[in-house]
Amino acid sequence: MILPRFEYKKVQSIASAIALYKKHKGKVRYLAGGTDLVPLLKLRLATPAVVIDLKGIEELKTISRHGGWLAIGANVTLFDLKNDPAVKEYFPALYESLDATSCETLQMRGTIGGNILQDVRCLQYNKSMEWRTARGFCFKMGGKTCNVVPNAKTCFANYCSDNAPALITLSAKARLSGPGGERTIKLEKIFNGAGRRPFALEAGEILTRILIPLKKTKGAYEKLRVRDSMDYPLVGVAVSVADGKVRACVGGIGPEPRVYDLKSANDGAVNEAADKAYTDARPASNTVLSAAYRKKMVPVLLKRAVKKVMQGGK
Amino acid sequence: MKTMKVTLQVNNEKVDLQVRPYETLLETLRDRLDLTGAKEACGMGACGACTVVVNGVPLRSCLVLTPEVDGAEITTVEGLKKDKKLHPLQEAFMEKGAVQCGFCTSGMLMTAKALLDRNKKPTKKEIVRTISSNICRCTGYKKIIEAVEAAAKR
Amino acid sequence: MKNDLNIVGKRVARSDSLAKVTGEARYTSDIKLPNMLVGKVLRSPYPHARIIRIDLSQALKVPGVKAAISGFDAYGIKWGVFRYTQDHAMLPTDKVRYIGEDVAAVAAVDEETALAALSYIKVDYEPLPAVFDPIESMKDGAPQIHKEYKNNINIHIHIDVGEVDKAMENAFLVREDTFKAAGEAYAMMEPYAVVASYKNGFLDLWMPNAGPHVRAKALSNLLKMPLNKVRVRHINSGGAFGGRSEVAPADLVASLLSIKADRPVKLTHSREENATSSRQIHDIIATVKTGMKKDGTIVAKDYKVIYNGGAYSSTGPIATSIPFYVYEECYRFPNVRYNGYRVFTNKGIRGMYGCHGRAFLAGNEAQMDLMAKELGMDPAEIRLKNGLKPGEMTATKSKITSCGLKETIEAASEKTDFKKRWARTTRFKGIGMGCVAIMCGFPMGFRSGSSCYVKINDDGQVTLVSGLVDNGQGNESMLIQVASEVLGVPMEDINLICADTEVTNLDPGSYSQAAAFVGANAVKAACENARKRIVAIAAEKLGVKEADIGLKDRMAYFVKEPDKKMPISWVVREAFFRGEPIVATGSFFPNIDFEREWVSRPWGQMAGTFSFGTSVAEVVIDPETGKVTVPRFTAAHDCGHPINPMAVEGQMEGSILQAGVATVTEGNLWDEGYLLNPDLLEYKVPLACDMPDMETIIVSSHDPAGPFGAKEGGLTVRMNAYSAVACAVTNATGELFEELPLTPDRMLRLLERKKGVK
Repeated sequence: MILPRFEYKKVQSIASAIALYKKHKGKVRYLAGGTDLVPLLKLRLATPAVVIDLKGIEELKTISRHGGWLAIGANVTLFDLKNDPAVKEYFPALYESLDATSCETLQMRGTIGGNILQDVRCLQYNKSMEWRTARGFCFKMGGKTCNVVPNAKTCFANYCSDNAPALITLSAKARLSGPGGERTIKLEKIFNGAGRRPFALEAGEILTRILIPLKKTKGAYEKLRVRDSMDYPLVGVAVSVADGKVRACVGGIGPEPRVYDLKSANDGAVNEAADKAYTDARPASNTVLSAAYRKKMVPVLLKRAVKKVMQGGK
Repeated sequence: MKTMKVTLQVNNEKVDLQVRPYETLLETLRDRLDLTGAKEACGMGACGACTVVVNGVPLRSCLVLTPEVDGAEITTVEGLKKDKKLHPLQEAFMEKGAVQCGFCTSGMLMTAKALLDRNKKPTKKEIVRTISSNICRCTGYKKIIEAVEAAAKR
Repeated sequence: MKNDLNIVGKRVARSDSLAKVTGEARYTSDIKLPNMLVGKVLRSPYPHARIIRIDLSQALKVPGVKAAISGFDAYGIKWGVFRYTQDHAMLPTDKVRYIGEDVAAVAAVDEETALAALSYIKVDYEPLPAVFDPIESMKDGAPQIHKEYKNNINIHIHIDVGEVDKAMENAFLVREDTFKAAGEAYAMMEPYAVVASYKNGFLDLWMPNAGPHVRAKALSNLLKMPLNKVRVRHINSGGAFGGRSEVAPADLVASLLSIKADRPVKLTHSREENATSSRQIHDIIATVKTGMKKDGTIVAKDYKVIYNGGAYSSTGPIATSIPFYVYEECYRFPNVRYNGYRVFTNKGIRGMYGCHGRAFLAGNEAQMDLMAKELGMDPAEIRLKNGLKPGEMTATKSKITSCGLKETIEAASEKTDFKKRWARTTRFKGIGMGCVAIMCGFPMGFRSGSSCYVKINDDGQVTLVSGLVDNGQGNESMLIQVASEVLGVPMEDINLICADTEVTNLDPGSYSQAAAFVGANAVKAACENARKRIVAIAAEKLGVKEADIGLKDRMAYFVKEPDKKMPISWVVREAFFRGEPIVATGSFFPNIDFEREWVSRPWGQMAGTFSFGTSVAEVVIDPETGKVTVPRFTAAHDCGHPINPMAVEGQMEGSILQAGVATVTEGNLWDEGYLLNPDLLEYKVPLACDMPDMETIIVSSHDPAGPFGAKEGGLTVRMNAYSAVACAVTNATGELFEELPLTPDRMLRLLERKKGVK
């Protein structure tokens, strides 16, 4: 399938990327690994005038430690990050989520920044222009309905990053650079809950770094999928325990991950969080498995992940 | 729209090309260089049939814009032979019966080549994990795994 | 004979694999011809709509566009595999019947231009009510999809043998269950593609196909061209699995575009188009009623099976029949009634599939296990009791000649310690067995046979000409191997020309499991005729009796004194001298009852022989998530005497993926007429990490009529692997499946049903 027309620009610095963004009045898309963006371009779900390749920015390619933080450049590939000794040693939830992401070849191309900022997905959205035209445009395509849930007022597309939930359990922060300057926010704050446009980033902002408090954690990631490689999560639950604090995060259902700080790791607290997560989950019939089933799996996987962390001693 | 000049090192040969900015590496290889070994089976990065090795890394060439890899060293299945001699993987794929319809074969070979280049003695588990990046509809993968294991021993 | 073989029966590297590992093997989309244009198709956005008008004029004005066509540029001819199924115009002019149907097309200098031009084609439609569910479609008042077929019933196969009702009444145990299965996607790795090149009145075509001769015939009819002017050429095929058996709309489209533009045209489907607009696989609802005696003997079967056929007939009568036949060819049914209905709906066209019929076959087998258990028998026992034996007749009067069913059951049981493991019920772990028989070919009139032409060239090398086509399963290599055996020359000395309708002779094609039994037999016959000529000259020259001449390693030799020998090339040159070069033909025509007809006369000898197979699957069910995994899979297959055991194993292993693991992963998903997973991401072809440890057992028998004793190699697994998985789930849970695939959500419902959870 051929791509639509666009210009390609490769930049060496964040500043020049932002300058290009301004020059083209926002009609641009930032490109990292391209494993999410290129299919969207092919499907005409993204139609920028200019694609700005960020892979030439050296400072986004490094993993470094300073001031009690692990700073991960957004262009670090999932594969390299997975194989970083610090990740395996300090952040088992992240290690497992990276390992569970897509397949090895795509881990070698996909970047952590791109993985976090991947667009939300829906069986009725990630389709060709011809398919979608026949079906009729939904909210996310600029239409007036949801093609999955009749009479819905909102979009039910799913956020399918495996790694953002894991990072959230690790209290990670996102470093952003944009036309308005730099800022650092909690990772969970980059979501706005809207499937149509799921990120609370300012126009032109670039995710430059992920910062994780550098302390040993225990953790696990439980992922529901049909095949054990290649597939996006149908539900994904990350759990990390740091300083005795248990944090869980549920992804794969709806446009943003949901965070749960558990009072403790005892059964009562876990059950309480699992019940809450179950109640909060609002899946729609927009994946290969039924909505009711995915909802049911939220507490199952949450409890499983906690159990794994507590028993496995990782 | 304006084309862009890129220089690629393809199978040890330097090529200067004018390409569309929105041209994929797969299109460049197949349409401009007549290297049709890499196949387009899904065009969306979901199957691996278009895998080529770029600077030592297996890439799905349907997801890569050619300008992205300007200056890169690219190996396609056509460049797998050395001095007109088959690569051990090619021999093993033939001998072990790892080839049926052949449409996934070049992508499978290139994925396996990149593995063996970075890990000379992969375990069976590592081989399975690596080739779980590629779809084969015909073989059930067993003979492919055996072939990669055999090639690693050569 | 069997023990003297030099090459047949050996694990040889396939003749086609060198080109495939070097990337040199050409597939249709690799073809580049001078002045070639790119074709693109405009498709129906409606599941059902009347076509009011198609205006191509604006598209033709787009710079770079060289031709535009619609059905109005064709000849108004409708194709059908049978006289009574001629309902497919390929490019409709009356109405569209599914989303994605071909409506119009353009050919342009490049893909970008062609795509842009499509948006300038104006089609006025009048949308019509549509129907997607076959049960709804059969009701009075449902939208009529073709006016010729009342209640949208495309095909009704009615078979009634013995006295079913009476036998049911007298049966000790009777059980009736209904099973459903989603249609699958072929998901062959190569998306469909056609290159058409029209020049000087001749139309040359390349496309992945499973029978070049029937393809050429269909196009000659549709284009009103003499058959000798339509030449389907040889090209590699990136998988077919039954999905490329018939003429496709794209064939007509590319041909019309090339004729109009007077230039070659290449039309390549996107993955999505391949899924929505080439062929899909039937979804099935099978009601299975079985009567058994107290000792486990099946006394009666009563079937009602509904096949969702999509918008056109396709191979309808065959598709509506095959699941039944592969079952009645396996087991003894003294009384049996089969009502198979293929029903039109506003979905894509459904074709035959290597794994066709999983709801029916897995349903039968799983139900049999539950009934056997009630009678105190295990699955192996009940299968052995009811399985057909050599020399028996099937219910519809096919004689079984060679039959290794018993041996496959025993081999698979022994390898897996089946009886013990089946009896020991571990929670959420199960083991199951599935059996089936496969006809090697079926009646296709004068197209049922194959012919081969062979010539021996002046250096003793061989040119072999056969109509058989290879879709990836290794047919080409098989023919070369057979010729190598007969002629005593190595495989590399043999050039094969195949599947080119200008050069090759009729062959049934590689979709009826007749390739080895019929195609290879024809090659064997031709080579034996050539061999006779070689032997005659060699005997004369060596001064020995013809009966004492052997051919091996490019030499003709005296078998009693092997040093007395001469190169075959000398014999060939001598033949040239005598003005009688060594050329020969050979044919094979299977012993089939040609009065047999799918609808009007469903009895008589179906095929020359039958293969048999038994699969055993082991499953583990995650009780919390319902996820089913298949850690181990064992398949035993009576393929006669295997020509290349490695190739047969490859077929068996591929079948374990496509039918076995697919039982838990694969199924097309729909929202009315919209196919939700027309891709390779959401359509779940199993990956290497999803595959079980596989054990393949070739139960080598010797078919009296097969080439060197061979029958088809591998398809039994394709049609019993899902049964094994379904039976293993029944073993683990005590429950019958309701619907395939057994995705975790369905599996969890099954577990909850058992627990009585609502």
